[in-house]
Amino acid sequence: MNRLVLVGLVVLAGCAGNIDPPWQLSHERIIAVRATPPHVVAGEQSTIDVLVGHVGSDGSNVQVEPPDSASIVSPTSLMNIISGDTLTAPSDGELDQVRSELGLGSADPVPVELQIEADGFEALKTVFVGDSGDNPTLDGLMINGAAPPSDPTQTILVPADVDVRLFVNADETVDNINWLTSCGTMNDYNLHDAFVHVNPTDPQSGQLALVVRDESGGVVWQYWSIAAQ
Amino acid sequence: MVFVIALAGTSAAQPAGSDGSAGSAGSAAATGSAAETGSGSAASLALPTIATTGRVIDKLGKPVRGATVTVEGTDVHTTTNRFGRFSIKAPFQSELTIEKSGFELQLAIVSGESLDDVVLLGSADLSETIEVKADAPVPTAGAAELDREELQRVPGTGGDVVRTLTVMPGVVNLQLPIGYSGVVIRGSSPQDSQILVDDFEIPVLFHNIAFRAILPAESIQTLDYIPGGFDVAYGRASSGIVALTTREGTEHRSEQAEVSVIDGGVLAQGKVGDDTNYMIGFRRSTIDLILPYVIPSSVDLSLTTVPSYYDGQFRIDHRLSQNWRLTLSDVGTIDVFQLYTSKDTSSTTNRFYNRTAFDRLTGRATYHDGPWTATLALSAILPQFNFDLGAVQHIDVTQPAITPRAEVIRTVDELGGLKNVELRAGGELVLQKSYVNVALPDPMVEGEASQGYNPMDTSTSFKGNFWQPDPAQWLSFAANIDPRIRFQAGLRLDEFMRNHDTEIQPRGKLEITLAPKWTLRLIAGAYRRPPEYQTESLYANLQAEHSTQTIAGLEYKPAEGTHVQVSTYYTDRSDLITYDANMVLGNWGRGTTYGAELLGTYHVGPWFAWLSYAYSHSTRVDYPNAPERLFTYDQPHSLNAAASWQHGKWTLGGRFQLYSGLPYTPITGGILNSDSNTYIPINGVVNSARAPIHHELDLRIDYATHPGPIQLTYFIDVQNVYLDQSVVTYFYSYDYTQQAAFKSIPIIPSIGVRGVL
Repeated sequence: MNRLVLVGLVVLAGCAGNIDPPWQLSHERIIAVRATPPHVVAGEQSTIDVLVGHVGSDGSNVQVEPPDSASIVSPTSLMNIISGDTLTAPSDGELDQVRSELGLGSADPVPVELQIEADGFEALKTVFVGDSGDNPTLDGLMINGAAPPSDPTQTILVPADVDVRLFVNADETVDNINWLTSCGTMNDYNLHDAFVHVNPTDPQSGQLALVVRDESGGVVWQYWSIAAQ
Repeated sequence: MVFVIALAGTSAAQPAGSDGSAGSAGSAAATGSAAETGSGSAASLALPTIATTGRVIDKLGKPVRGATVTVEGTDVHTTTNRFGRFSIKAPFQSELTIEKSGFELQLAIVSGESLDDVVLLGSADLSETIEVKADAPVPTAGAAELDREELQRVPGTGGDVVRTLTVMPGVVNLQLPIGYSGVVIRGSSPQDSQILVDDFEIPVLFHNIAFRAILPAESIQTLDYIPGGFDVAYGRASSGIVALTTREGTEHRSEQAEVSVIDGGVLAQGKVGDDTNYMIGFRRSTIDLILPYVIPSSVDLSLTTVPSYYDGQFRIDHRLSQNWRLTLSDVGTIDVFQLYTSKDTSSTTNRFYNRTAFDRLTGRATYHDGPWTATLALSAILPQFNFDLGAVQHIDVTQPAITPRAEVIRTVDELGGLKNVELRAGGELVLQKSYVNVALPDPMVEGEASQGYNPMDTSTSFKGNFWQPDPAQWLSFAANIDPRIRFQAGLRLDEFMRNHDTEIQPRGKLEITLAPKWTLRLIAGAYRRPPEYQTESLYANLQAEHSTQTIAGLEYKPAEGTHVQVSTYYTDRSDLITYDANMVLGNWGRGTTYGAELLGTYHVGPWFAWLSYAYSHSTRVDYPNAPERLFTYDQPHSLNAAASWQHGKWTLGGRFQLYSGLPYTPITGGILNSDSNTYIPINGVVNSARAPIHHELDLRIDYATHPGPIQLTYFIDVQNVYLDQSVVTYFYSYDYTQQAAFKSIPIIPSIGVRGVL
């Protein structure tokens, strides 16, 4: 069980190289896929949208858009329940048949894995069919000691070259938390209590985003404009 | 062969008769014979000159390396090798003087092409009568042995053990030491080879910072590099062995100190009373004092615990009686650093911490009486390894172990028509308890790229402790069928009790002297590595990895100081511990390695030159029906050419290295798993790409001076002088859309001074 030092070295080298860290918002990719709602009962519909990151210094690094395409990966017997960005849960009878195929219990939700394409990137997302459940909400959100504005176009001003505390009422041992920014340097980006520090050499304005995923496939995100002063 | 040496005021070796009979009475006759022929005189030189070989041993029968053998009355001389052997051209019936610091001068008569053993006695051994039998074990093809003086002089290595190993043929050349020990031998994996100090394994050989060996060359007596085909006394490895012995204190007190920009150390040695020698050394890094001032402020890094290390060694030898000798040795190290890949040291997720420490204490009693030799040893080790990466991932392992070990050797002159028979039996018990607290992602599959790094992933979690009692026994039989043919047959039995795994390993060697300068060696055997690498020890259902090695080697010694050896090998590996298609860990894998190696050394006058080249090809199949692929450490070509030249107070040395880059698996992109927020790499064919060739020139200049009683040596050592920053490997961003090169070391200059009092 010795010698994971190389792992560390590579990690360090990775951080020191010209590779974007996971919290960098100014980076081309799919950041998250959301199904609203993530759990649907027979006949109910779920809408898919995607949070996409872009490279740029104009402060618009993130946007929400429908997927370019969405298809069912599994179970293959439910391949036809999606159309465009909308998934429609099949009837209870069809679901019982699929449960039987998958060896699930009669009340178990059926996990439907979707393959999503957006802006040339691919992602996988699971929607649960056969029970109900909503996406989580962001509670107790605090940025620099104050609740952030709900309007994403309104700019949050933060002091430069100091630690700016970011807080959300979530538990990283259960939830997957991601703070992202294109302004400053993010620290503890995957903890509920993180901080951003806008160094003089960092971009002084950009966007700040938070994505939280819960255990049952729910996703919530929010983003703001941010600038250092 | 039996010798009885009687010392009575004169230091005369007593050669036995050619029939092997003891010849105590013949001692004076032999000496007298030399006197009658007029040793070193014109009379002896008038006799025909013959090439003769012999061996020099101490009173316990151990080969004496580095003894000077001189044709009396001439300046023709040579030195003995690691096995105490020498060859020299001398007039028939002339006299040879054998000298070695700490021993009494001995004489031998050139009575034929093969001389009997010469026994050197220490100053305290006068008037002792020693009876010695046996030959040294059959050497292994492809092996190399270095004593401390050679180790310190291998050009371009700065006397560092880790760098010295990289010039050995068969050692995979890496720009950074990697893995379990930092040594990868014959294309396998680092965990397949063992590093031993005084016959017992140490867990690490190099420091995290500067990658220096944990043992300074000054504290080492010998380094034996055995890339394969090792003896039955060695086990728990399926590839090769690097065996170091600590230095025995000298007869005369001396102290030395060395300081450079990398580290500094002191070493003291000498004698207490008539029968006890000591050596004690300590070293501390100095680079940690310098590093904070040389890291550019633009680097987004905070060193909260500056990388530092401490090394300590001691060895005490005590001659308890004529037959018994006691040795107590200790090797230890502490290596620690903590840093944040951020200027903010409150950033938990950017924290990296590592502390590696161990101490191994070994007590040994050696008994020798006539044909009997016995070694009893008890060794204890306390290794600790702590590793924190980010907020939740960590390893905390403490693995104390105690190992009693015993070996008995019985020699017989003749048995059933065989000559120089050696019977050997030994056993050991590695009794280890592991205290483990681990929370990490599942280990990477060898050769595969990471399946998406998630800093919160603790898929492999374990907190607990368990025992690992591993007994082993071995038997060996060696003899000469003919004066030119010697064989050794051995059997080793390892039991890995926690895994309910019993492994029988037959091994055999054959050495044939084809001609006076040519020796052929053929070796075959079975070898086992227990499942103890990384998280393997958490799975009691795993079995040992198997290897079957076949080696043929040819050695040629055209002239004194010149040595050439070539070897070829084929290694079949099975029961490799791998993941199958369902990601279940088991003994699914198999693989093969074949290759050829060349080592040439030239050590004449002021020159010491070294040339090694290795070709290797290592492939494996991870589970049935999986495609064949290269081992991650497959390195087809590795060339090392080195030379040093000594002139007056100056010594100039250089080493040129040229070697293939290692294979890697290219990644063409990544798919986001939005549920877990990880990216799934889209892998190309495993290990289908290879990092570029690396070449590097290292230079070193030493200047020695003697102000008063102190011997001072100033040195400057520069690695990679023309800054070939080739790629070691590539790594990827978290989403596999960006690739960066992990480049080789920059120019590393080290300036220092060594003083010996």
